[in-house]
Amino acid sequence: MRTDHQLDVQGLACPMPIVKTKKTMNTMEVGETVEVIATDAGSKADLQAWAASTGHQYIGLVEEGSVLKHYLRKCNEAEEREKTFEQTVSLEEVQNISNDSIVLDVREEVEYAFGHIKGATSIPFGELFDNMEKLDKTKTYYVICRTGTRSDLACQQLAEHGFKHVYNVLPGMTAYTGELEKTI
Amino acid sequence: MSNKVAIIASNGGLFDAYKVFNIATAAAATEKEVAIFFTFEGLNLIHKQGMHHLAAPAGSEQVAAGFTNANVPSIPELVEMAQDLGVTFIACQMTMDVMNIQKEDLIDGIDVGGAVTFLEFAKDAAPSLSF
Repeated sequence: MRTDHQLDVQGLACPMPIVKTKKTMNTMEVGETVEVIATDAGSKADLQAWAASTGHQYIGLVEEGSVLKHYLRKCNEAEEREKTFEQTVSLEEVQNISNDSIVLDVREEVEYAFGHIKGATSIPFGELFDNMEKLDKTKTYYVICRTGTRSDLACQQLAEHGFKHVYNVLPGMTAYTGELEKTI
Repeated sequence: MSNKVAIIASNGGLFDAYKVFNIATAAAATEKEVAIFFTFEGLNLIHKQGMHHLAAPAGSEQVAAGFTNANVPSIPELVEMAQDLGVTFIACQMTMDVMNIQKEDLIDGIDVGGAVTFLEFAKDAAPSLSF
């Protein structure tokens, strides 16, 4: 799966996977993703606990035999910005939309892979501008991310480029309790 | 929630060293402010020569070999990593005097202080650990 960074800690024992992950995170920009490849069974619990404690997002784990692939995303809760796009809808409304409208998931590819609303289209926020030509401006878009921040920016960008029927879905996937579709 | 972890290292064996430095580096990597107070035999863990020859408990040679097999870093490596991550090392002045250890005998980049220096740091730390 595509991530911005990769870290190989295979063969290393505790506390090295944590120490190395921390060092890699220090070099990353907020919002970037990293794949941590480990063989330390303790990393299964440890990396999740580490993420919870440091405020970074633990996206998920793929086990391939004794190889553990952890996916994380750098967060900075303190920098959480105010949402300004006025057209918003709640998660409940999105679950009963017509077939003609599109749920646009602007989270990173790995976040999408570990669980998204059934039928949602994936375009990571960073790639939206380059893909805008492919989208039909006459359709209705329900834009969603994890907490509503990236989708807020995505809505603004779409509106600036002539999309009329654009809605930011709040609060975002963190509050979604419905059925999830996975691509891993 | 406290963002500090306070550790007392008062024993000087190989296993003691791993307990101290594993917890310390893990905590520091989790963005905690960490201080370790080295006292009595614990001073061995930051002694320039001593730290390279820490003894495993009698009869546990097999376990000691397991450290190599499991690819666990050596104690000097863990010490360097801990310092790199910003862990504060405080050597106990009183025990240094009693055991006739000079600051030059210990690794660089450490503080020397008394019990109150550590207590001041530890007063709002959670957890506080003793090894």
